[in-house]
Parts: sequence; structure tokens; C-alpha cells
Amino acid sequence: MALSGMRGLSVFISDIRNCQNKEQERLRVDKELGNVRTRFKNEKGLSPYEKKKYVWKMLYIYMLGYDVDFGHMEAVSLISAPKYPEKQVGYIVTACLLNENHDFLRLAINTVRNDIIGRNETFQCLALTMVGNIGGREFAESLAPDVQKLLISSSCRPLVRKKAALCLLRLFRKNPDVVNVDGWADRMAQLLDERDLGVLTSSMSLLVALVANNHEAYWSSLPKCVKTLERLARNQDIPQEYTYYGIPSPWLQVKTMRALQYFPTIEDPNTRRALFEVLQRILMGTDVVKNVNKNNASHAVLFEALALVMHLDAEKEMMSQCVALLGKFIAVREPNIRYLGLENMSRMLLVTDVQDIIKRHQAQIITSLKDPDISIRRRALDLLYGMCDITNAKDIVEELLQYLSTAEFAMREELSLKAAILAEKFAPDLSWYVDVILQLIDKAGDFVSDDIWFRVVQFVTNNEDLQPYAAAKAREYLDKPAIHETMVKVSAYLLGEFGHLLARRPGCSPKEIFSIIHEKLPTVSSFTVSILLSTYAKILMHTQPPDPELQNQIWAIFNKYESCIDAEIQQRAVEYHAMSRKGAALMDILAEMPKFPERQSALIKKAEDTEVDTAELSAIRLRAQQQTSSALVVTDQRPANGTPSNTQLGLVKIPSMSSNVDHNLPDQDISHENGTLSIVDPQPPSADLLVDLLGPLAIEGPPSSDVQSQPNIVPGFEDAPNAAEATAIVPVGEQANSVQPIGNIAERFHALCLKDSGVLYEDPNIQIGIKAEWRAHQGRLVLFLGNKNTGPLVSVQAIILPPSYLKMELSLVPETIPPRAQVQCPLEVVNLRPSRDVAVLDFSYKFGIDMVNVKLRLPVVLNKFLQPIPVSAEEFFPQWRSLSGPPLKLQVVRGVRPMPLLDMANLLNNLRLMVCSGLDPNPNNLVASTSFYSESTRAMLCLVRIETDPADRTQLRMTVASGDPTLTFELKEFIKEQLVSIPTVSRAPTPAPPVPQPTSPVAALTDPGAMLAGLL
Amino acid sequence: MIRAVMVMNTQGKARLAKFYDFQDSRLVYKHYATLYFVLVFDSSENELAMLDLIQVFVETLDKCFKNVCELDLVFNYSKVFNDEFSLNPILTGEKIHTILDEIIFGGQVLETSSTEVMKAVEEISRLETASNSITLVPKAVSGWRNR
Repeated sequence: MALSGMRGLSVFISDIRNCQNKEQERLRVDKELGNVRTRFKNEKGLSPYEKKKYVWKMLYIYMLGYDVDFGHMEAVSLISAPKYPEKQVGYIVTACLLNENHDFLRLAINTVRNDIIGRNETFQCLALTMVGNIGGREFAESLAPDVQKLLISSSCRPLVRKKAALCLLRLFRKNPDVVNVDGWADRMAQLLDERDLGVLTSSMSLLVALVANNHEAYWSSLPKCVKTLERLARNQDIPQEYTYYGIPSPWLQVKTMRALQYFPTIEDPNTRRALFEVLQRILMGTDVVKNVNKNNASHAVLFEALALVMHLDAEKEMMSQCVALLGKFIAVREPNIRYLGLENMSRMLLVTDVQDIIKRHQAQIITSLKDPDISIRRRALDLLYGMCDITNAKDIVEELLQYLSTAEFAMREELSLKAAILAEKFAPDLSWYVDVILQLIDKAGDFVSDDIWFRVVQFVTNNEDLQPYAAAKAREYLDKPAIHETMVKVSAYLLGEFGHLLARRPGCSPKEIFSIIHEKLPTVSSFTVSILLSTYAKILMHTQPPDPELQNQIWAIFNKYESCIDAEIQQRAVEYHAMSRKGAALMDILAEMPKFPERQSALIKKAEDTEVDTAELSAIRLRAQQQTSSALVVTDQRPANGTPSNTQLGLVKIPSMSSNVDHNLPDQDISHENGTLSIVDPQPPSADLLVDLLGPLAIEGPPSSDVQSQPNIVPGFEDAPNAAEATAIVPVGEQANSVQPIGNIAERFHALCLKDSGVLYEDPNIQIGIKAEWRAHQGRLVLFLGNKNTGPLVSVQAIILPPSYLKMELSLVPETIPPRAQVQCPLEVVNLRPSRDVAVLDFSYKFGIDMVNVKLRLPVVLNKFLQPIPVSAEEFFPQWRSLSGPPLKLQVVRGVRPMPLLDMANLLNNLRLMVCSGLDPNPNNLVASTSFYSESTRAMLCLVRIETDPADRTQLRMTVASGDPTLTFELKEFIKEQLVSIPTVSRAPTPAPPVPQPTSPVAALTDPGAMLAGLL
Repeated sequence: MIRAVMVMNTQGKARLAKFYDFQDSRLVYKHYATLYFVLVFDSSENELAMLDLIQVFVETLDKCFKNVCELDLVFNYSKVFNDEFSLNPILTGEKIHTILDEIIFGGQVLETSSTEVMKAVEEISRLETASNSITLVPKAVSGWRNR
């Protein structure tokens, strides 16, 4: 009977195997599932044996990838069967089909417990296996103590005890809060004395988890681990069945060394000495042999030993020995070992000053770039990237460039990015850098991101010595028959800017340059066309005296593009055409680009963002730390750009130019004088290169009205940095901080006023992020205090100075922030009544000898308690009328940042004032509605109307209406602050006196606009 | 810890898959005849040691099945198996899962000596035989394996 049952299973499996296609298989499975389902339904007639058979079928179907959503009960019920075969099936199928949260598991807990505490070892094993595979919370709660007892019981066989160890480990990993391991330190130490290697292996796994959780408690286990390792490495008392290809249990050796790596260091000199002796023995005693399996095993141990040596910060001698070994490995035939050799070398770079020794293997590593296995090539690339410095940059980058032509597509992007970064960081001279990037674009244009060529342009613009060279190079590349579009972009840009420097060279007259660039025009995309148009305009400008023939040619082109469908191109064509006809005016507007402000390389930033691989990541971090390693990378330390920490990312300068350090400032002035719009942003570097490069191109020929309005703007911009600084830290007080913040605090604050998460403050030691949630008049902020250092920040203090209108509660801030850790401090906020005052966070910490104290405005501002609500015309006017009593506030605001209406609407929307379009018939006006929440006012409807004057964008009239006079006033002032340019805060406190209203247009009374006007 | 064990054939069809946890990580594989043995694990394991573990698993299977092949994995997945030519006549059902459970337990290496694993597996099969002996009708199924 039974066998026929199991034969049914075999038949079913062969049926499935004989299925020709997936469809047949599915039909067969469906049929079987139907069959099993019916059999389960009238369970009464089902013998345990039949039940077992069907449960097996279910598991098989489940493994084929079909959903099996019934029969779980039957599987679980088999666990309580008295006979072994059924019980076994029950346990195995339950462990496979059910997860830890399944309700049916609860039904089995009692049976499982009985099996565990029972005398039958086989049942104990089954139960432990199932519990260990599932590891649920309820299991942990009711079974962990029993499992612990089994583990230390002296009467149990090793077979059971090793399972108990791993079962406990699993329960502990899953529910560390439930499994009580207090006082296990002594027991673990005892367990490590175990002679049976099976139990020892399992106990070691358990120890790894416990030590990883809290190494302090397990110091007593450390010498035992070293003893175990000694026993294994010396092959003392190791039974034959535990030697694997002649190596005493490599797994236990590896596990033991892993466990040791969880202890920060080894203090006891004797233990340390003993351990180093063993490690030395492992390092020396491993050879590459013929047998693959033996090789694997011995190298598994060896690599773990290397990791432990690195962890323990061994003496240099031992380290160099390790590097020498790795050097040997990267040359062997076995690909696994080559791979691990390269990977471990990358890790090695992070540890100590072994770079010089690693460099000895450079040739071999470069050979690995040609390895047939792509993962090995990748490792080699990472390693080359990590080991590159000023001394070998030339060789490595040239190697990478050469490799670029043969590398497969999957790697080219990474390769070109890395080559570009290395070239930038370690350029022995700048002309070499330009060479490298141009070659890069030439060879792998498709994989060169815009960032790369933007960066070249930046360098060339900022280094005068480089300009003729770069222009000449760009000119050379244009002679090539087929060049990549990126090359067209960069050479057109360079020749437009600096082509005139080549004028005397053969083939470089403006006309010739123009014609060779113009040849490329038909083949390029519209984005490049707009760059080309700018280049033409620049060529025209530089050709003095004007060459009528060239002029006509270019004008014809401008003329042609004046009707281009692409608005950007059209605008440029129109503007350049008009300006170039003005002659002298062109000179001013199209003058050479000013120098770029220094900034972090967007490439490096990008690389940091995209890295996933830890080894690689750490390599980049390492790069970022060893800033001053190369003599030629000189960064100038202008205080304007702030922080010492990003000096290593600053622009590379030729030392001979150091007399010219301050060139940036005069340049900015020049740019103002000669009338180009303020292109140089006075703020610290932003990562957005595109804005810098394309911005100027677009603004070069601004509409005439803008040029006229300039006198108004420029002073504003000049005020900006000072004003911003003044508002950056609220009570400016005693700012004797030696640590300078990164980025502009005021800017960060303003950004956070409009969004709910971001960085509030950053300096080289700490980053404070903020995340906020708002619900009506309540808010919850979380401050993320992230220690960026490898040392702890101490005496951390955060005190909130709330204004009277807010109730704020900050949870406890820990006094110490551990290295590289992030602490979250929730902050509850309740808004009592409307006010524009700002809460201040007084934050201080100590790092080393630096005591830092900053006072930061918290972005808990009025608009956070607004809730945008849409209002229709039918609702709006009655509301407006009802609110139009005395609290209505009307004011003319002057000194408004000129902005298009659309931007203003966006600004209002960002402030959570919902702009209701179409309500006001005058397209120059904006109407917005919102509701304000505070404890005193509850929800309060607020209506805003802004009337702008298209002739003078610097002034407008604003009307605010709400049911509460304070709210009306505060809201009006708040919006005003946002509208007048933020940097010119100095003006805000002295609002312009109301002026006579401009006569409102008289219209029919049915017109809603007229109604509005009438109500005013 | 070890996240998953998979065995698949050269056509990519899974012959054994057992997950201990569901997060991706690195993996090692070893190729034997028509089968790939794959181990998925996290950074707390040593890659080469995992490769060795595959070898132990395969060696154990080999001892159990006398020259293990893909079909053994297909049919011994659950079958009560009676090998006429074997000295210990009846091995075990659920064999592959049982063997795996004796080597890897909840994502941790349980036992690395294939001799020890064999002992445990044989003990289980004896138990099974004992409880099955009444109902079991010997039947040669070697035909399955020759297909």
C-alpha cells in the first residue's frame, strides 16, 4: 500500500519530466493539485502514510515554482505523528513551506517542545533543525531555554549538541531581545574546550554572533580561540575525518579567525605572541599545489589569516610579507585565487603604508587587466585606481587609456570615469591632463559623461597658461575624419573661447577655425548646435578688425536658425545676430568667460555616489584623505570658499601661478563692469556644473530689458554674501570656532524652509540632517547627528531656544557620538499662535581639542503650519468679502526680486499657499489660498492676492485676509520676506511706506476682477 | 551566514533550492558534469571555504548515491530508495534534504566531515527502515536511474 503511494509520487515526477513544454507541465500540476485538494478535504479516510505522500507532492510542486496555498495544516499535523517517517516529512515540509510568521506554527510548538525535551535523539534533531530553519519569535520565546540546556548538557551526543548550538544561534540572530544570553560568557569559554570538532565548529559560529553583538562580555573566550587555532594549525589531536585534503578542518580555522576579528585588539602580550606565531606558520606554510580542492582549502585559511593580520595592525615586516604573498597569488593560474589576491590587495591599501610594496607588483596588476575573466579585470581596475598616486599616475592612466580601446562595453564607462578622476587628481602637469581627457573623449566618447568635459573646460578657463595649448590640441582633433560629438562640443567651446590665442599658427585663422567647426554642424544634435552658435559669435567677436566675408557667412547661419524649431537655438541665433550687428557692444557681452569658482570635482562626487563595492568605496575614501601627497597638486586656500576639508578637491594649479592666487576676485568684478550678467555665483561651489557652463552661454545675450534692469540687481548680488553671512548664524555672538562649516548655513536653512528633509549643518566633523513631518499645528522633527570622523565626538549638547509661540520638546541627546555613527533625536513641536520668530538650536560638541559651538535656526517657520486648500470662485468671493473687514492687510512691497509670474506662483506653492489660477482675470495677478493651523486659531482660512506690475517687476501690491489680525499681519510679513530677495534682508525690516495705489482698471461690475478691485 | 543553496542543471533548471534568508549577496558555484552547485552567502563567510563546502556536499552525495548524477537528485528528492547493489540495502527518503540539513543548518555550517554526515544519514535511514519494514515491499527501481 505504502509503496504504491510513493510510486504515485515517482509517477508524478516522471510525468512532469516527460512534459514537453511549460504549458503541459502546468496542466499536470493543476490536475495533481486538484487531486491532492480533494483528498485532503475528506481527511478522515487518509492514513498518515497517504498524507505523507501528498505532502511530498505539494513540496515538489512548490519547488517547481507553483503557489501552494493549502495543505499547510496537513504538513504541520504530520509533525505530531508517532512514527519517524511521517514526523520527518512533517518537519521537513513545514520548514520549507511555512515562514516564521505563519499561524499554523503555533499549533506545533507544543509537539516541537516535547520532541526537544524528549529522550529520542533523532526527534530532537528533527525538531532542532526545523526550529533553526524557521527561527520565529514564538519559537524563541518558548524554546530557547530548552535549546540552551541541550547545548550544555553533558549527556547529549555531539550530534544533538551541535544542532542545538546552531539552533540557538539562529534564534538569537532573529530575536536578540528574546533569547537571554546573560552569563553565557563562561559557558561559551567552556564550550570552546570541546574536543569534538563538529560541536566546536557550531559553537564557534555561535561565538561569532555573540561577540559581534557585544565583544566586551566575551574577552575570556579570546585565549581559547587562539588555543583552538593553535591546535588546528599544528594538527594536534585532529581526527582523520576532519582533515580535508590534508588540512585540519579549514572551516573551523576560518571561523576561529573570523571570531578573532570581532575583538578590536588583543591586549595580552602572551596571547598576541601566540597568535602571531600561528599566523606566521599559516602564512609561510601555504603553497600553491596541483589539486584544486586542496588549493581552495589552504587558501581559504590563508586569506582569512591575511584579513586577521590586517585587522591586528601587525608590524610592517609581517605586512610586507603578506603583500609579497598576494603578489605571488595574482600571478597564479587559478582564477579564484587571482581574484581574491587582487581584492585583498585593494583592502591592504587601506591598512598601512604598504603602498610602496604593492607598487612593485604594478606590472602584474596591469597584466590582470587583460585577464579572460571580467570579474578579475574589474578587481584589477579597482586596485589600479586605488594604488594610483602622483608617482605612477602617468603610467597607470596611460595603461587605462590603452586598455579602453579593447575593453568590453560593460566596463568602458567605469574605466573612463576612473581614468578621468585619476588624471585630474594626480596630474603631474596640466597639459598632460588635457591630453588625457581629449584622448578619453576620442577613444570612448560614448562613455564620457558631460561632467568630464565640463571639468576640462573649467580647468582650462581657470589656468591661463593652459589655454593656448588646449586650443591647439582641440584644433588638432578637429582634423580627424570622424570625431565623437562630445569632442565637437569640447573643441568648439575651447576654440570659441581661446581660438584667438592661436591666430598666428598655420591653419588657425578665425576663418579656418570657423570652417572646420562648421563642417561638423550638420551631424550634431541640437544641444551641440547651440554650443556651436555661441562659438560662432565668439569667433566673430575675436576677429578684429571684422572680416566682412566671415561676418556674412556667420550672419547667414544665424539668420537660418532664427526660425529654428528649438527655442534655445532660436533664441541664441536671434540674440547673437542682433548683438553682433551692434559691433562694439559685442565685445563687452561676449568677453571671455570669467574663471569658475572652485568646487569639488563633480566627477569625484559622482564616483562617490555610484560606488557600491565596499573595497572600492574605501579606496576612494582613502584617496580623499591623502590630500597633500602630491607636490604638484596645489590648492589655493581662499577663505571665501571656506572649509579646509575640501581643499583636496579644489582645482589643480600650476605652482608658478601661485603669485596669482587672488585672480578670482578681480575677475568677478570685471565681469560686473563689462556688463555680463552676474554669472559668477558668489556662493560656495554647487555640484551643478551644467548651470555654470550653459548658464553663461544662455545669458550672454540677454534681452535688452534685462540689461537695463541690471543696475538694480548688481548691488543686490554684491550684498548677498555679506547679508547671507550675517543671517547665517542667528546671534552671531562669540564665534571663535576653529572648525568652519561646510556650505552656507543660511542657504541650507532657506532650502529647508521649503522642503522637509535635508542637511541643516555640516562641518568636517559632523553633519546634522533634519527630517520633518507636519500635521496641522503639530510637527515632529528628527535631527540626525552624524559623526563623520573616526574618533568620537564628546560633550555633545543640543539646547533648543524656542520662541514663545512654539512648544518644543527635544528628546535626550547623547553626550558622545561614536565614530562614524549617526544618532537620531526626535523633536516634538506644537504651534501655539502665529509668529515669524524662529526657533534656534544651540549645538555644541568637542572633537579633540576643538570645541565647536553653533547656533542654528531651525526650519520651523510659519509656512510649515499651512495646509494648501483649493478654493473655487464660488467660495472665494464670499469668503473674501466676509474677511474684508479691518484685519485685511494691504501693502505695496518694493525691492522685490524680479521674477517671472510663473516662478512667483511656484514660490507661493512651495510655501504651501495654493495658487488658484483663473480666479483673477488679470493675468498679472495671483490669488492664493491656504489654511493655517495653530493651537489658538485652530484651522484658519487665509487668502492672498498679489498684483504685479508688468512694467516694474521690483514692486507689487499684496493683500492678505484672514480671520485673525495677528495671523494676517504675520503672514503678510512672512510672504514679503520671501518675495524681497532673501539676501537683502537688510531692507526687509524697513518696509517701504505705502504709496498711492495705481489706478485700478475700471471694468464692468460683473467681472470678478473688478469685484475684487472694488472690494479693495 | 549562508543565504541559499541551489543546485541546477546546465539548462538552468533548479534541482534543489533551499533559502535560509532572502537577501542578495555574493555567490560561488562549482560545476560538476550536468550540474551547477551554487551557494549564496554574505560577507561573513570566506569564499574559498564555501567552495570547499560545495565539495563536501558533493562528496557526501557521491558516497550516498555511489556516483551521484542529476537523476539521483530528481528522484531521490523524496523517494524511498532501495538499491539492490548496495551493501546497506535501504538508504533514505528525503535524502538530499536530509543530507543538506546535516551539513548546513539555518545558514550555518553544521558539519564538515562527510564521514560524520554519512553516519547521521545512515542512522536516520535505519530508523526509517525500522518503521517502514512492515509495509515495505522491496522493488528495484534502478530502472529509473538508467533512463
